[in-house]
Amino acid sequence: MSVLGLLAPLVPFVPVGVILLATAVVGWIAAFVVGRLLRQSSPPLQRAARQLTAGTIAVIGVTLALQALGVNPAILFVMIALLGATALIALRGVLANYGAKYFSDIYVPFKVGDTIEVRSATGKVIEINPMTTVLLTEADQLVSVPNDAMLREVVVNTSPQAWKEVVVPVTVGGSVDLAAYESELLKSLAKLRSRLDPRFPPVLTTKSRSAQSADLVLTLMLRRPEDRDAITAEANKRITELLERARSTRRT
Amino acid sequence: MPRLSICINTQTPLVQFRGVAGGSLLDPAQAESVELDRLREGVDYRFSPGGVTRMVYPLVKRLLKDRVLSEAHWVSLNPNAPPTVGIGRLTLHNVRIDSDRMAGYGAVKEAIWGRIHDLDPTERHDDLFWTEAFSEYAYYNRATAELIRRLDEAHDFDAFYVHDFQQMPVGHMLSTLKPKIFRWHIPFEVSAIPDQWRAMLRTYLDAYDVVVVSARRYAESLGLLSPKGRVLQMYPYLDPADYSRPGPAAVAEVSARFGLAPDDEVILVVARMDPMKGQDVAIRALAEIADRHPNAKLVLVGNGSFSGSAAGLGLSKAQVWRQQLEGLVAEKGLGGRVVFTGHVGQDELDGLYERCRFTVLPSVREGFGLVAVESWVHGKPAIVTQRAGVAELIRDGVHGFLFDPDDPGELARKMDRLLGARGGGLRPRLVRNGRALARKCSLDAAIENERSLLTEVAEA
Repeated sequence: MSVLGLLAPLVPFVPVGVILLATAVVGWIAAFVVGRLLRQSSPPLQRAARQLTAGTIAVIGVTLALQALGVNPAILFVMIALLGATALIALRGVLANYGAKYFSDIYVPFKVGDTIEVRSATGKVIEINPMTTVLLTEADQLVSVPNDAMLREVVVNTSPQAWKEVVVPVTVGGSVDLAAYESELLKSLAKLRSRLDPRFPPVLTTKSRSAQSADLVLTLMLRRPEDRDAITAEANKRITELLERARSTRRT
Repeated sequence: MPRLSICINTQTPLVQFRGVAGGSLLDPAQAESVELDRLREGVDYRFSPGGVTRMVYPLVKRLLKDRVLSEAHWVSLNPNAPPTVGIGRLTLHNVRIDSDRMAGYGAVKEAIWGRIHDLDPTERHDDLFWTEAFSEYAYYNRATAELIRRLDEAHDFDAFYVHDFQQMPVGHMLSTLKPKIFRWHIPFEVSAIPDQWRAMLRTYLDAYDVVVVSARRYAESLGLLSPKGRVLQMYPYLDPADYSRPGPAAVAEVSARFGLAPDDEVILVVARMDPMKGQDVAIRALAEIADRHPNAKLVLVGNGSFSGSAAGLGLSKAQVWRQQLEGLVAEKGLGGRVVFTGHVGQDELDGLYERCRFTVLPSVREGFGLVAVESWVHGKPAIVTQRAGVAELIRDGVHGFLFDPDDPGELARKMDRLLGARGGGLRPRLVRNGRALARKCSLDAAIENERSLLTEVAEA
């Protein structure tokens, strides 16, 4: 049998392959564009938007691929919807906490190390996992608060000067000269000095470091609480611009 | 007890290379790595003067010899050196940064130095951590932390021992849970630290498990800043075995080299050329007693620090200070009575100690003052500024003399007393009691504390 004869059964799948490949490429490009459009937003929000965009395009691509194979996607979607609804009902508590973690990262003003009051518990935040926020009380007890409570309840951050603090995650690729990047970033952020507390210059803290990347957090202390959003956006913009410059310098 | 592998970090390198311009065949910029025992001391390299060579190096040698350490790596700023230098189981790693970044780094460290030593109340530098220069200071410290991180990946250190205020951010920049010790060598007076600096200092110091200071009063003051880690006070030390008593021929040779006549009464000051070291106070004091003691001669040993040296960072303030001192000598009519030796080797320094009647440590501020201990090791009394850490060990008139560096007259009176003490029990008593203090500040006395500190933090 010739090679063409061997490949003949695969011919119907060629359009499917093309569709899936195109879906992957379009998904990647769309996620990249969305990331660029939201580059002044916080990294978790950027990440969420990129994932949502890529996921939506993947669903459309898979639907088209199924149609190309002659499968009616409507039946499949009904089955998936039923399974999804069942899973949602069964796991609604878990998903609520998971989703709340996602949004509390962005909107609730506390972090590991802060002291907070929520419901009847007061303690130092020692862990924020996908399901719960763990507090260590003064009585040395661990209190686990479901993350959805952080969105539904009043949370009071009693850490000194908590309102001043803006914490921005910074991820730097392993091939970027971290010392030069930090130096340029500090120089750039010093220009925001009139909006920041003069007793607390910007600080970059290393959370983890490997040959592949460095995960850092930038801490800024506000002079006025109403500047929070503007300073966060401006810091994100400067972080991203300097990273792009560092990458392009490396390429040249 | 497990043998430890540690990483030491100092700003000043243990070894400075002379380079081709200095007569060496080794071009440090081209060499990849070298073994020190294949090079010639004095020709290719020299040991840095000061605490790094006097205290840290003897400690490392002893810990390696006693098998407390299996190996040690030592990271320093050394732009004019090969990347690595081997000395047996000790490896020196040199951080080389561009000269255009040096100026900013140097400006920040000098500003911190000046503020902590309270040198000029008008130069407060409140906004130091917001300046462009600070970004270069951060650059150097991050580059150092990155090198240490890479070394840690290769060697899996048990602990990090960071020395010098210049290196303070390194602990914060190292993303490791491994124990970190910071040794703060300069004075620590919380009142000298501007409000605008305190949060930053806290951030940096909080990264260390232990912060070691040189005097009890510094420990009390640092406690007011409430760093997260333990505050420990440990007197600096040296190894008396590194010092020898030169014979008459060597003393005669060094005397001839610096024009010291047999009947000259030599008063020795060993300090780098820096306004903080207060050589001007000693010159003013000499002027007050010059007529009563016509043979008294002041010998000033030392030149710039590593930062100020040509082999180092080239941030020279030593030359400016020396010119000012020479002007003061002329103004006081002390021509021929004050000798500037510049840097001298260990043998010549031993000869000058042997030749002198006594030593003076006239610093305006001094973290500790190991030269007083050197003086005692050589059996010479010391007159010490009361603003040195070592002053808390000295009872005035018992172990030596103390004086207020703002009052050259007080120093003059005490110099007069020692120059006039021909017979009687004063000198022998000071020598005897000084030697007792020298034993307290010796490597033998300190090694147990250092060993315990390292093993405790490593095993905690």
